[in-house]
Amino acid sequence: MVPATAGLINKPGCMRPMKLLTQTTIYFLLLVLPLLTISTFYLFSQFNKEIGHEIDEELLNDQIQWLRYMDTVSIHSPVFQLSTPEFSLQPVTRPAQAKPVLESVMLYQDIEGKKTPYRQLTQVLSIHNNSYLLTIRKSLIERDDLIKNIFIVMLIVFGGLLIFILLLNRMLSKRLWRPFYQSLEKLHGIELKKMESVSFTPSSIKEFNQLHTALTAMITRIHADYKSIKELTEDAAHEMQTPLAIAESKLELLLQDETLSDAQLHAIAQSSEALERLARLNHSLLLLAKIENHQYDTSQPESLQHVTKQYLGLLDELIKDKKLTLETQLTHDTSWQMPAALADMLISNLVGNAIRYNYTGGKIRLQLDDQQFSISNTSSWPAIPQQQLFQRFKKGGAVLDSSNGLGLAIVKKICDTYNLPISYYFENGVHTFTISRFSTNSKPSFAA
Amino acid sequence: MKVLVIEDEPALQTAIRQYLEQQGYICETAPDFPQAMAKVNDYDYDCIVADIGLPQGNGLDIIKELKALESEAGIIIISAKDSLEDKLSGLDLGADDYLTKPFHLSELNARINAILRRKHFDGNTNIHFNEIRIAPGSKAVFVKDTPLTLTSKEYQLLLYFIANQRRVVTKTALAGHLWGDAYDQAGSYDFIYSHIKNLRRKLLEAGGEDYIKTIYGTGYRWSDQ
Repeated sequence: MVPATAGLINKPGCMRPMKLLTQTTIYFLLLVLPLLTISTFYLFSQFNKEIGHEIDEELLNDQIQWLRYMDTVSIHSPVFQLSTPEFSLQPVTRPAQAKPVLESVMLYQDIEGKKTPYRQLTQVLSIHNNSYLLTIRKSLIERDDLIKNIFIVMLIVFGGLLIFILLLNRMLSKRLWRPFYQSLEKLHGIELKKMESVSFTPSSIKEFNQLHTALTAMITRIHADYKSIKELTEDAAHEMQTPLAIAESKLELLLQDETLSDAQLHAIAQSSEALERLARLNHSLLLLAKIENHQYDTSQPESLQHVTKQYLGLLDELIKDKKLTLETQLTHDTSWQMPAALADMLISNLVGNAIRYNYTGGKIRLQLDDQQFSISNTSSWPAIPQQQLFQRFKKGGAVLDSSNGLGLAIVKKICDTYNLPISYYFENGVHTFTISRFSTNSKPSFAA
Repeated sequence: MKVLVIEDEPALQTAIRQYLEQQGYICETAPDFPQAMAKVNDYDYDCIVADIGLPQGNGLDIIKELKALESEAGIIIISAKDSLEDKLSGLDLGADDYLTKPFHLSELNARINAILRRKHFDGNTNIHFNEIRIAPGSKAVFVKDTPLTLTSKEYQLLLYFIANQRRVVTKTALAGHLWGDAYDQAGSYDFIYSHIKNLRRKLLEAGGEDYIKTIYGTGYRWSDQ
């Protein structure tokens, strides 16, 4: 279930999923940054305009002062000629202008060694019938500095505000979303068997409470389904095993009849064996259903290494009987664990197959360490076609009497349930199954 | 020895009763929960074979009742549900053994035998069969006072045969008894043959009779007749 959703989000081409908080922060930034930029520029241009206006007014003011002064002074000295960078008065032969001309100019300055901006006012005046060109200038350097300073202060204020808002946003979001993360954690730790006991703490946020109500309803439904499936498989077991038990016990009683011939006894024994096979098949199918429905007991983890040794001991007779050479490489301190019932099935099926499909005098190689479990065996059987490797009732094209064709299907089901990758390869008459402890892309979903 | 069989399937109940009676037990039966409770309260039994799924009740409650009565009876649960929880709770409540249906009657008989031996004789009473004497406490076997050295599998075989004496025991029953579920993986039961051959040889060498009769393709019978 978990890998499936992860796969959905991780679809190729999609963006990597981000935390909700990161996403809201990014959207907030995307929205606020242009706004701040625009308002800064607006402020800048407003200041610029205002200050320019101010300087022009000052220039006009200066001009009026000069005019007044010259009106009074020029009576006694008929010709003026004055020249400073800020002010010049030169006689010209052009006719007088009614209005002054205001413009921005760049002038070379000796101290700075470069051209600097000035605002200048020029007007051709007629004083006592002489034409003069009046030029008044004001340096704009100070104005530029002023605007620069204003700009920097604005940036600092806006930046501070931004950081403050971001922090506040983060803090608030964390606080607001806390119940959500708590519920998420609860859902992660949920177990089918103990589902009904899960309850969510009510929060002060309406949406979260709605989510909790929906989740609780869903969990109740899933638990009910789980229980009914569990009961169904158990009832099915009961209903099928009971007639088998009756038939088998009757046949066993029949065997005790001393008037029967050997041939008759043999026939009864064969029927009894067939019934036993049916019982085992039924058992295996139920087992598959149970693994699929997560109905096994997970409370008793068992070391894989221990189970392997146990089965090698139990099957020792069979190994000796077939004169098989057993080569084992069991690392002693492996921490690999599984619920006892599943470890039993996994190991007994794999080791059993390695013996069963071997030839007399063949070899079995078994290897177990912290990373993987691997078993190989010689066999006169051909390689198992990949497409029917783990399929139910597919026995590589041939049938062994005692096999029910479910062994590898069970092995595969257990591996799938645990997220353990299992691989098979065949080389030079040797079949090898390898189970890796950790899948390459995800940790085992199971914590036993 | 008195055994109570609590089983609701009449056919299975009869089969168990017949087999146990053939082995010399006095056998009573109860088909449902109320009758079982009544019998458990009114009489003393040496061993009780109880199904878990019963009409009008649960076999596990009968175990509770037995424990409340401080009964000395051995208890074997038989259940069609191959449920680990049932098994564990049954054993927790004080059952001595647990068998999943379907089972071999010879297996049930051997287990009843083992429980009775443990309960009533503290496992110290010798088992006799003609010239053979088994001391279960020390797992020692004698033929006319000559000690035998048997492997653990041969010893288990001998006990199983004597518990089911004069009955035909199938190869699968023997394999199931000696190797449990692991024998499923065998693919053949031929390996039993070598154990039986060795047991027979050791008994003969010590001066015993050959009691193991082979029934072709079927199994074996331990018989002095």
